[in-house]
Amino acid sequence: MTSGIDLQVSFIKTLTDMGLPQGAAKALWIPLPMTLMVIGAVVGVLVTVWLERKVSAAAQQRIGPEYAGPLGVLQPVADGVKLVFKEDMVPAKADLWLFTLGPILVVVPVILSFLIIPFGQNMVVTDLNVGIFIWISLASIAPIGLLMAGYASNNKYSLLGGLRAAAQSISYEIPLAFAVLAIAMMSNSLSTIDIVEQQAGYGILGWNVWRQPVGFLIFWIAALAECERLPFDLPEAEEELVAGYQTEYAGMRFALFYLGSYINLVLSSLIFAVLYLGGWEFPIPLSQFSDWLGVSQDTSWLQVLTASLGIIMTILKAYFLVFIAVLLRWTVPRVRIDQLLNLGWKFLLPVALVNLLLTAALKLAFPFAFGG
Amino acid sequence: MFKFLQQVGDYAKGAANAAKYIGQGLSVTFDHMQRRPVTVQYPYEKLIPSERYRGRIHFEFDKCISCEVCVRVCPIQLPVVDWEFDKASKKKKLHHYSIDFGVCIFCGNCVEYCPTNCLSMTEEYELAAYDRHELNYDNVALGRLPYKVTQDPMVTPQREFAYLPKGVTDSHDLPKGSQRAGSRPEDLVDQMKKEAEQAKQEEEATTQS
Repeated sequence: MTSGIDLQVSFIKTLTDMGLPQGAAKALWIPLPMTLMVIGAVVGVLVTVWLERKVSAAAQQRIGPEYAGPLGVLQPVADGVKLVFKEDMVPAKADLWLFTLGPILVVVPVILSFLIIPFGQNMVVTDLNVGIFIWISLASIAPIGLLMAGYASNNKYSLLGGLRAAAQSISYEIPLAFAVLAIAMMSNSLSTIDIVEQQAGYGILGWNVWRQPVGFLIFWIAALAECERLPFDLPEAEEELVAGYQTEYAGMRFALFYLGSYINLVLSSLIFAVLYLGGWEFPIPLSQFSDWLGVSQDTSWLQVLTASLGIIMTILKAYFLVFIAVLLRWTVPRVRIDQLLNLGWKFLLPVALVNLLLTAALKLAFPFAFGG
Repeated sequence: MFKFLQQVGDYAKGAANAAKYIGQGLSVTFDHMQRRPVTVQYPYEKLIPSERYRGRIHFEFDKCISCEVCVRVCPIQLPVVDWEFDKASKKKKLHHYSIDFGVCIFCGNCVEYCPTNCLSMTEEYELAAYDRHELNYDNVALGRLPYKVTQDPMVTPQREFAYLPKGVTDSHDLPKGSQRAGSRPEDLVDQMKKEAEQAKQEEEATTQS
């Protein structure tokens, strides 16, 4: 494997060549990927919202948003602008501080998790060696925010929704962590880059979906539950709880929740793509392409091509998963709260444990195929 | 031990079945994605109401004899008939007539029972108003005729499902002059006329012989 283009190194090198000290050049570099990531996350949400509305419309034989921009692509922007201009409402006897802090506490960890999403060999904000673990730990902050929002709203529906959200997140985090653990065990690393590298080399056949057929199902179910997507959208079940913990929210505070839930969906899809669908890898190993073309892998145009292809592949895979999630939303009815907890504790947890043990056994038995 | 294994097997079978059903459901939803939208793009496209459509009621002031049958057959005695007995002509003289469409349920009883046919159903259904009292139509408002959907240059009229040719489910881009399944009322009248003529001729033939 070649390292591909490293924007950070070349950027810092350019600046030091211009006479800047090393530290200053690094400090100049740091905000760049961060802002890019935040912009990317927000644009990703806009695309997801548009996609959700269009796919939902198609599944119901409607047209969906059409008049805001070509094919209605500006509809999410219009929604956002509307939310910005709405009245800032706080219900009577609500705790203003907790009421405001709730949505912030939901959104910030989700955006922070984008730190570890790799789009290429060096296309990542930070290659932490705890990598995927930071995502799991950050994801467990969100239920606190939901509970806070539900409790501070001074509304019974909100409180019930918040409690349900907390119960759901806690019970589905464990199978999720076990599924991730099996992957981490196979790639001998928690770093997202290493996890993708371990799947590289054989194209589509090397991806973890084939080595973790049970694990990826568990991960997908648990991820849907974490995102509160439809089969598991109990915390905001509108027929029972009005809108759950979001009931009393309007304007920008609601927009934060809205943004948070969609960023979470994009994030889960991206992580799914990284863990199971080979991240930025092309279905056919790209190193063979350069061999066929007879060019060195260090050629600059080839490196730019592979880098952009990597970004496109990651995003394509993630949006394919978003599409599946939307399709599932209109296919599967909502589960009851007892069914939800039964599924989590009595089905997913034992199956995830068995999957983990099986992976460990297979790793010992066939170290060449399961990352010895 | 055996019982436990059987339980595990049943559970696994149940899980597999559930997965199968979800897969079937997904294939149905996926199939729906490539079908054409069935929606009517309302302010730009409108359905042509059927000939028996029960819309806003039309009232002809001059035909009314103030008999108040419409009031009696109305489920809630809604029409207000303001009349006075004119001693000179020994007839009731109608001053005002009104129906409040904020309360009317458009059951059509008044239209059905009106002895002089001064009440009739129109195809108007866009009755939105800013104030519910604006829905209380007096005899002038009741006498207005609605604008036809087919004559509105801003609107693409769409046929309702029952008025589409046989086998067609989409009202968009119909070929010109396409007719609905079955015979039209005019055709039926013509056919009945022909049959009557034929019967008459046969009768004449039998009497002559």
